[in-house]
Amino acid sequence: MSEFVMVVIGGLAFGAIYALAAIGIVVIHKATKTVNFAHGGFVLFGAFAAYLVVVKLQWTYWAAYVIVPLLIGGIATVIELTILRPLRKADLFTVITATIFIGIGLSEIYRLSYNTEILAMPNPIPGRPFLIGDVILTREQIWVVAGAMISCLIGVLVFSHASMGRSMRAMASNVRGATLCGYSVNRVYALAWFVGGALAGLAGVFAGPSKGVSPELAVSMITAGFVAAVIGGFDSLRGALLGGLLLGLAETFAAAYVSSAMKNAVSFLLLFVVLLWRPEGLFSEGKGRDV
Amino acid sequence: MSAQAILSVQGLTVAHGAIVAVRDVALEVAPGQCLALLGPNGAGKTASVEAIAGLLPKVSGRVMFNGEDISGMPASTVVCRGLALVPQWRELFANFSVEETLLAATNAARGRPAISLEVIFEYFPRLKERRSQIAGSLSGGEQQMLAIGRALVTNPKMILLDEPSAGLAVGIVKTMIDIIGRIQQSGVAILLVEQNLEVATALAERCVVLTAGRMVWSGTVVDAMKTDEIREAYFA
Amino acid sequence: MSERVSERGVAMRRVIMPSVTVLLLTLAGTTLSNYWQYVFTISIGAMVSGAALIMLVGYARCITIASGAMMAIGAYASAIVVLRFGFSFPWALLVGTLFGALAGYVLAVPAVRFRSHNLAMVTLVFQAVTIILLREAKTLTGGAEGLNIPPPVLFGTVITSDLGNLLLAGVAAAAVILPITVLLYGPFGKNLRALAANEVGARAYGISPRDYLIAAFVVSSAAIAFAGALSAPRFRIIDPDSYGVLAAIFMLAYPIIGGMNSIWGGLLGGGVLRILPEVLRPLADYLELIFCALVVITVMYFPGGLVELVGKASRRLRGKGAAAGDESLPDSVEAAAAAAVATVNAGGVREAMMRAMPAARNTTTDVADAPALRIDGMSKSYGALQAVKNVSIEVATGRLHGLMGPNGAGKTTLFNMATGFTPADSGTVWSFGRDIGSVPVEQRLGLGIARTFQHVAIFPSLSCFDNTLIGLGRNGVGASMRRSLDAAHAGGSVAEERDAVMAALDAVGLKALAQQPAGSLSLGNQRRLEIARAIVSRPRIILLDEPVSGVGADEAGRLRELLLAINRELGVTMLVIEHNIGFLLSLCERLTVMSYGEIIAEGAPDEVVATQHVRSAYFGDKAAV
Repeated sequence: MSEFVMVVIGGLAFGAIYALAAIGIVVIHKATKTVNFAHGGFVLFGAFAAYLVVVKLQWTYWAAYVIVPLLIGGIATVIELTILRPLRKADLFTVITATIFIGIGLSEIYRLSYNTEILAMPNPIPGRPFLIGDVILTREQIWVVAGAMISCLIGVLVFSHASMGRSMRAMASNVRGATLCGYSVNRVYALAWFVGGALAGLAGVFAGPSKGVSPELAVSMITAGFVAAVIGGFDSLRGALLGGLLLGLAETFAAAYVSSAMKNAVSFLLLFVVLLWRPEGLFSEGKGRDV
Repeated sequence: MSAQAILSVQGLTVAHGAIVAVRDVALEVAPGQCLALLGPNGAGKTASVEAIAGLLPKVSGRVMFNGEDISGMPASTVVCRGLALVPQWRELFANFSVEETLLAATNAARGRPAISLEVIFEYFPRLKERRSQIAGSLSGGEQQMLAIGRALVTNPKMILLDEPSAGLAVGIVKTMIDIIGRIQQSGVAILLVEQNLEVATALAERCVVLTAGRMVWSGTVVDAMKTDEIREAYFA
Repeated sequence: MSERVSERGVAMRRVIMPSVTVLLLTLAGTTLSNYWQYVFTISIGAMVSGAALIMLVGYARCITIASGAMMAIGAYASAIVVLRFGFSFPWALLVGTLFGALAGYVLAVPAVRFRSHNLAMVTLVFQAVTIILLREAKTLTGGAEGLNIPPPVLFGTVITSDLGNLLLAGVAAAAVILPITVLLYGPFGKNLRALAANEVGARAYGISPRDYLIAAFVVSSAAIAFAGALSAPRFRIIDPDSYGVLAAIFMLAYPIIGGMNSIWGGLLGGGVLRILPEVLRPLADYLELIFCALVVITVMYFPGGLVELVGKASRRLRGKGAAAGDESLPDSVEAAAAAAVATVNAGGVREAMMRAMPAARNTTTDVADAPALRIDGMSKSYGALQAVKNVSIEVATGRLHGLMGPNGAGKTTLFNMATGFTPADSGTVWSFGRDIGSVPVEQRLGLGIARTFQHVAIFPSLSCFDNTLIGLGRNGVGASMRRSLDAAHAGGSVAEERDAVMAALDAVGLKALAQQPAGSLSLGNQRRLEIARAIVSRPRIILLDEPVSGVGADEAGRLRELLLAINRELGVTMLVIEHNIGFLLSLCERLTVMSYGEIIAEGAPDEVVATQHVRSAYFGDKAAV
């Protein structure tokens, strides 16, 4: 039983990171209708930047949690301004291809710096683990679950209620109507990419210590984020959050009770099943009729 | 162009890919006046109005609003200058509440004196009752009111109304005519696109008639009702 | 007759050029050092992959991230049959290719429900799962450590020299590239491009998206597996990770950088990109990053890829101007076409069409005197909105029947239900006495029902000739493959088809523009092209959705004359939606008016338009002018 609880906590820890990544993908997609295949690259860069801040510059983790999202958000905005804005009129195929190769490009930039070694990062919260009965909970796990989940919730709340979120939601709902409210497409898109990039960067800061920094991280995070987003129906932030948690739990259960090879296959199987059985997502919000 | 016109359009030509929707249209609206833009389906009325508002790119022509050349501006900038559009298909936000829709539009009024939501609700008491209701669940008439309210929130000097009576029951249309009349009396100029001649006669003094993208007639609405030309325009 | 012979020669020369080029490169390679022979061998293998990806990625516009898995399947399958069962190399190649085809089918069947990003993700799933399985099946595949591949055995000889391997690769690649070329140049490839350009228009003329995408996946996966099997012995050891996601993504760069619209793009992209790591050794580490940058720069600034750049450069060298078809046609050509149209010769239309393909319409199952189209009690609601309420219309055979109504009346929804694009909530549709309600869209052309679209659904990158050719039908996957084979040697029904297409283009006045890309035509001519495509199959009824919307008054008049001539000479029934009331009045014998989803009037056009009810539907109650 205690082992079960530990598996669940472990699953939630990874799930929270996936949820953070997925929310970033959904924010960008809702506001700009673009599926950002470079998102995994953003997460990798976030982890990499966190490594540089914490290990190379020897600053505290708090510095990383603040600087990295801003940095990655900035990089994402630059990409939107220089590459994606000129491609605004191009067809979907072109945009998807561009983001795929931007993501691989980011991964390659990292690889050129540190090769394929996996960089280890120190524990953000060192200290003795908690012991509740037979259950061992490391501080790091609790921190990741709490911190990533709270970040997700803040992200979701800001998007749903704050006026900054309103511009993106209006643009997501009806581009023409949004422009008639004075929202400029260029500004809102840039904002959406900044927010999406910042969320990816934050996911990277959490993922770095948990998973290690390596080029592999880019592919695994884009896959996990995409799967979580699909489970949520690709248009729902809450759905993406729940999807990420579900995926984290599924993976950890598979690794614990089936085999470690299965762990890698779980996200793919989940994606396959959801797309074939309920392509609109398991947790999606109802789609309002166009008015 | 007369010095007092709040909106002056010259040589407006709008093409959408290979389709020329509007050819060389010119019109003027004085401050606080209501001008009707009439014509059959497919005549280019919507294309004209959307091009003026900046939603559609125009091929050529000049649009002066309130003394400023707004010819190349996108809609998001035009609305901040005080020219609001209520589009033909309303273009509301399906999952926004009435209140949030109006709040969203306050963005366009920034930097200028604001219109409070209470003022809007005075014009549209029905909307006040439903302020928390989702736009997608409103009736057709209520959605049309919300669309007009959204335009009003931006504190416009002029509103472009594209077929506000389309799809509405007769009773609601009468209410709509009253409200639009009151808006005009408060000093807001109106360019009214309509197929429904009853609405046009009730609200506008002057009109311009389009057919197949070109202007074929302009003058007072009273004269328009008397001539055979309108009938020709619609059925030729 | 000699014309036919020379035509055949031209067609065949064109089709064998890519394969011949590969053979020539092979021959050139034989004169080089061993190292360069090795490089050429790898390059040629990648050319096969490139050609395959042109079909899937370039023509069908499917983003696939499964190419690595397909290569792996080919490589492993062929290696296993050699190691375990002692197969000789040709048989091993065949086995690898077949497994690739099977894998392509297994991937495609669930995948082709999706488009764009979901499709890409499903292929990624396939890619990743395949590699995982290869890694886990240690007893069969050697697991992560890999498999040692012996040198190929051909007719009892073991081929170990670089020269031998080069010749083997060159001949094998040329052999596989030939059928790919045949398919790409023929109706199969054209239909794929049509599908990617405008799915709605493609479906209306018999091109089934599911069938074609599955076929494209199967053929390209087989070819990529072939390339994997061919190149495996050169690498001596194969392991799953060298066929991973990164490899798959970089293969995507072959058609993109090479040029998406022709097989030469695949040959160029694959051939050049694959050997860059060998040729640019000092930059090897940075190459992948450079590839990424190249792809992004290509899609932003050079969408035509290397092929287009080379083409422009060679034209400039030869002193010619911009490529024909790059811009809109000069006015003189369009004016000439317009003049030709102005004299629509009534007898000419019939003559032209009578020379065309005989209509293979199955009239034996018709019920005598049944109307061309009968819609019975059709309804459609979208949530609370009732778009169409219990509408019934009968269009008598040979009639010109109009359908009008203000915006939102439900006309296009009704049309889409009658033509099978939108499922009806209730009601039935009969054509010539046959219930067609459950007939899929793609099969309706075969029943003699053609249609045009409100937003012109032509295929902009195909020529007017090719657009019209699609209208002939026979667009099932098998049929189009057979026709592609015919086209390769200008045999079979190619000549008859060409006559029919030219007759249809002549009838609408576009004969002079037959080779122009349809996207460069004016709107009026594009609408004409849609009509040509609709009549070339000698349909019995055509449904036209706003055929003169957006064209000037003169052009509308000419189109009217054309439609009248088609109806008179060919006996084609027509149901026409239009907003232009004057047009309908001068064209139709009978008019139906809809408003808010219901029919409010029907009868002779002049009477219908004069009724008060109709006027108030358009203008409001006080419109008593």
